Amino acid sequence: MDTSSANIIPTEPSGGKDCTASVAKGIAVETEVATQSRLLPETLGEELWQTAGAELVEVSKAEFAQALETIGTRDNFGLDPSKQANERQREMFWRALHLEELAIAHGCALGRESAWGRFLAQYRDQLTRAAVEMTGSSALGEELASALYSELFGLTEREGKRWSPLLGYSGRGSLMGWLRAILAQRRVNQYRKIRRETALDEIEPAGAVSEPLELERLEDLRVALRMTLSEASAEERFLLSSYYLDQHTLQEMSRVLRVHVATVSRKLKRATERLRKQLLRTLIARGLSRRAAEEALGIDPRDVDINLRKLLQKSEGAANSDKRGEV
Amino acid sequence: MFVEGAATAREKERMLAHLADCAECRKTVFLMQPREESQAAPATPAKEWVWRWLVPIGLPAAALACVLIAMLIYIRPRSAPPAVPPQIARATQPKLERPGAETAAVPATNSERVAPSGNPKNGVARNAAPPKLSQEKQHFAGGLNLSKSPSSQTAAKVASPQIVAAAPVPVPNADAARLAGTISAVKAPELPMNGRNVTNDQQLATSTAAQGAVAQNSLAVRKDVPELRVQHAGEQSETLAGVSGRITDRSGAAIAGGTITLRDADGKTRQTTASADGTFHLAELPAGQYELTATASGFATSKQSIELKPSELALLKPMLDVGAASTAVEVAAQSNTVSIQTESANVGQVEAETRSMSRIIPVPSGQPVVTTVSHDKRLLSLDNSGNLFLSRNKGKNWKKINPQWVGKAVRIEWTTVASTGAAFQVTTDAGAVWTSKDGTHWHQQ
Repeated sequence: MDTSSANIIPTEPSGGKDCTASVAKGIAVETEVATQSRLLPETLGEELWQTAGAELVEVSKAEFAQALETIGTRDNFGLDPSKQANERQREMFWRALHLEELAIAHGCALGRESAWGRFLAQYRDQLTRAAVEMTGSSALGEELASALYSELFGLTEREGKRWSPLLGYSGRGSLMGWLRAILAQRRVNQYRKIRRETALDEIEPAGAVSEPLELERLEDLRVALRMTLSEASAEERFLLSSYYLDQHTLQEMSRVLRVHVATVSRKLKRATERLRKQLLRTLIARGLSRRAAEEALGIDPRDVDINLRKLLQKSEGAANSDKRGEV
Repeated sequence: MFVEGAATAREKERMLAHLADCAECRKTVFLMQPREESQAAPATPAKEWVWRWLVPIGLPAAALACVLIAMLIYIRPRSAPPAVPPQIARATQPKLERPGAETAAVPATNSERVAPSGNPKNGVARNAAPPKLSQEKQHFAGGLNLSKSPSSQTAAKVASPQIVAAAPVPVPNADAARLAGTISAVKAPELPMNGRNVTNDQQLATSTAAQGAVAQNSLAVRKDVPELRVQHAGEQSETLAGVSGRITDRSGAAIAGGTITLRDADGKTRQTTASADGTFHLAELPAGQYELTATASGFATSKQSIELKPSELALLKPMLDVGAASTAVEVAAQSNTVSIQTESANVGQVEAETRSMSRIIPVPSGQPVVTTVSHDKRLLSLDNSGNLFLSRNKGKNWKKINPQWVGKAVRIEWTTVASTGAAFQVTTDAGAVWTSKDGTHWHQQ
């Protein structure tokens, strides 16, 4: 499938006219920016613009400077929201960006042909491979990738303006990683549309309890679980959710967290041990004897009418179409 | 950003908190992981405690072990039997009519003894066995002088191959005796002065009863086998051997572009093409019995059996007789296919072969070079994995040739093709033949 011809249909005049338009925009932008206080010094902006090779993808200095300032401001230069970055921190933030990829992404978002040419040359095959990998099917993968190209090209308009998800690329991670995230989000959405997901309430088995618990004890267990899980750290809850709810392997989790699989295993074990101890303490604190508390913990979760998924997760998560791909 | 570790600690914490709660985002994060990607994982902290214990105990123990091993190595050689100096033997051929023959023939029978030629500069000595197996430094200049007298055919007359084997370590007397047979020792002052190059006439002087491989093989029984020298190289591999030499005709003129094929007992072959001055080299050969076949366009094929000892460098001097037509049967390296080439005699053609490639230049793949062919400044090298490399500046820079052929290249040469003229030629294990005038653009024949 020749995605370049099928999907990359210029919506703006190409060639010189496009360049003229972009230059005009650049001038306009530059004027506008000049009236505001600029965080990006001109010399640094010039240097970063050249390092990014933005000229090759028809992104003007002003456009690139604006993109850099927008990203910096949006992420507060990687600092805590309560802090304000000084000049040095801003410079370090900008220098740490993937400038060349940012220029390509920005050029594509602005509809520059040279940027698109470069983007397709560098990323088309990788994207298609990633899509095929995610979908497990060559046909589905190519379809997913093609759909993404159209979206990335900016055939969508918002408030009368051309909009592309590439505008959301911050340059802090690699462009390919960002594209994979977008692709994964689209895939998840696609999957949800194709197959209705089972409601969470239906997941928990409503099987018969072999030894019916007293209602009071069940409530104690439920409360203890809720309290204990809410006290768990984000990492612990992520580990528990990924492993027990999502059924991911330790290897997969280690890749996401960028640690050794043994580390994941150890952390998971510590999390479960800590949870158990905390649960015991909580149950005992609620008046159960130690023996009763241990009995309660020894119950098969399938025999207990407790929705662990709901307890472990606070939200179901919305559709990912507007996510910026920060993951 | 999160997955690639580009997020700050605070951001990562925030994202983890979200991921812990959001099943959709978790799905996305896990789905976007490339399957084949294995991220570099830092050393697990769980093992820190192991290192804490090992370091104070393990390091001193390791150091002590190293000291003990060093002492054993240092002491052991002193208590070992005295090193047998390298054996340099020369088999003279008193009846050969070659003027200025540098070598002497090995008598056909064990009962004969070969008088030492007394010229230490012949054969091996000139080659001055370098300590390493890399035979680039061994220029076997002592070509064999072959007379161009017309002779009948093929393998009948393998003139004077000289086998000079070099070993880095003391060769047991028995081995030396076997190799010697009727070989006498010659001093080789050109050899590296590592204390192991002193020849010992008495050790090599023979044992008329020596029934070594040399004595038993066709080489030993040939009356016209010329000078044979055994040379022990320095730092060659303990188990591998090498073969180096020069193909000449009866008059001693070098035969350029000839093919040397070594076939072992299992049928595996190694092949190389001689350079413009007739020299060739094959390295890293397992020790054992081989059948050596020397072929060249316009010359009769010669065959002989040789035995390579571990860490020996055999210096060979196959002499070919001019033939009206020669038929070379060569077994492609590492395959069982056999290609038969019939060439018409064209002595003049031989002279137009590739220019010199007097030494094997390593290629970027790091694999042993099977064959190198040169033309002008261009070198085409084939490694033992079938990779082809081209250099336009005599080996200073190399470029890997992307194979357009199916299968593995097993032979390269510079030859004349009827349709294209003189060109590089590649033969694959499937028998396909590709030619190129410049080494870059290839066409299938």
